[in-house]
Amino acid sequence: MDQETVRTICYLARLDIDQSKSGKIQKDLERIIDLIGELQRINTSDVEPLYSPLEMTAFMHEDIESSDNKKERFLENAPASNENYFLVPRVVE
Amino acid sequence: MSIQFKTIVELRAMLDSKQISAAELMQESLGLAKKHEELNCFITMNEEQALKKASAINLDEKTTSNLLGIPLAQKDLFCTEGLRTTCSSKILSNFIPPYTATAVKNLEDAGSVTIGKTNMDEFAMGSSNETSFFGSVHNPWKKEYVPGGSSGGSAAAVAAGIVPAATGTDTGGSIRQPAAHCGITGLKPTYGRVSRWGMIAFASSLDQAGPLARTSEDCAILLNAMSGFDSKDTTSLNIEVPDFLENINKPINGIRIGIIKEFNLADLDSKVQERFEESKKTYEKLGARFVEVSLPNISASVPTYYSIAPAECSSNLSRFDGVRFGYRAENTDDLNDLYIKSRSEGFGDEVKRRILIGTYALSAGYYDAYYKKAQQVRRLIKEDFEHAFESVDLLMTPTSPNTAFKFGSKGTQNPVELYLEDLFTISSNLAGIPAISIPHGLVNSLPAGLQLIGNFLREDQLLNAAHIFQKNSDFHHLKPDLEESQ
Repeated sequence: MDQETVRTICYLARLDIDQSKSGKIQKDLERIIDLIGELQRINTSDVEPLYSPLEMTAFMHEDIESSDNKKERFLENAPASNENYFLVPRVVE
Repeated sequence: MSIQFKTIVELRAMLDSKQISAAELMQESLGLAKKHEELNCFITMNEEQALKKASAINLDEKTTSNLLGIPLAQKDLFCTEGLRTTCSSKILSNFIPPYTATAVKNLEDAGSVTIGKTNMDEFAMGSSNETSFFGSVHNPWKKEYVPGGSSGGSAAAVAAGIVPAATGTDTGGSIRQPAAHCGITGLKPTYGRVSRWGMIAFASSLDQAGPLARTSEDCAILLNAMSGFDSKDTTSLNIEVPDFLENINKPINGIRIGIIKEFNLADLDSKVQERFEESKKTYEKLGARFVEVSLPNISASVPTYYSIAPAECSSNLSRFDGVRFGYRAENTDDLNDLYIKSRSEGFGDEVKRRILIGTYALSAGYYDAYYKKAQQVRRLIKEDFEHAFESVDLLMTPTSPNTAFKFGSKGTQNPVELYLEDLFTISSNLAGIPAISIPHGLVNSLPAGLQLIGNFLREDQLLNAAHIFQKNSDFHHLKPDLEESQ
């Protein structure tokens, strides 16, 4: 894993790595990727991936309106909001 | 009469015989939390509400709940309405949830009272509690040692006798390993047994909530209350929940226990090995029969886990962006800069490492080689367990290859070193099956844990086997000397 790849992944994950730590992070990631790389020695041809231990379809429920609207309480947790919206820096000039 | 180190069953008897009122019990428990503040078990206390709720409890009221008036601590990963929930992260350090997690609500509906929220590894990512934004929890047995993780605050609070039991969550061993390191009992139930609704997600296909307590009997009491179908969790199992206390005393004569051939126990510390052999003898005396079983793919559990868990984490933790809740960075140029700065300042190093690994494993060109490959191996591991359970009832391993270690002594140079500590616990999360850790003696004055792994939905068998062991041993009665443990 080179510095360029680390930079790309950081951007995809919306993370900025402190320059003084970037060498250590790169080394750590290499070690973890090496660890995961051990899986390549296992033959998995014709094996279906198991994405969840419960291989069941999510259950369906009746489409009933509920009154669980806690808009004000959710907005209270926002770093910036007005009466109805979460506020963020201007996106469109 | 002190309430410290008492079990739920003992406290129930004290409450029922009016030796103590629910309010007095709550005051005692809160007092103990304060007295042992140096352990750093709690992030947020719920003092006022706990005393209010306890004072309103009428013990003369006819109830079948064992939990009425019992003080409990909740891992700070469960959302609790009106009570700060941080996941031990700077990014959630000011978060007050508008709702309560189902597992906690079930316990509170059964009459228990939450005294506070316990410290943990940040977003449950860690095995030592050293990644908490609020500082490490200290092991009550030796304060310069880690309590294990990620449910380290819950385990230490129970081990120090502050509360009789606490909730935890287990994604790769986060209930069982700290239970082992702190000398208490901890159970990871079957995936789907306990609702995940209101639990802050780390790796959704692996996360499961469960109890930490002094005994397996108390774990059964908590599991009875926590379990059950929840329409708010789409992976919640809609099946009848048995009474886990009912068959806990059944004789275990004739039970078949598997020893996993691929876990080379001869490589372990000789004293850890010795404890394991002694416990085997105890079970043999109780009528268990040991069988060697082969799970050919189980040694691939650690790499499988460290592909899947970070992948799910990178996806789950994308919701922390400084917009709707949690920490927001100041002085940002635009929306993208707000995301980047809020996340970079809000997350700690281990969380960032896992997000980056997960992002890499899921990115174009690597998805098949890392993520899909790991999910294929996961199926092989699950099939290995299914095969093993055709010939045995339970599997037995040490919970952890080592006892607790000193702060800063593992994983600081190379994170993989710490990941390998999860060798014995990780596979049951991958397969979704239940497992319990019970104390089985001390190694160099620190507790060692014994793990029993059960078949899908067979928590009853685990609790039964653990309880019979505890009826025939005293390890769960051992207590740390909190004045001496410097």
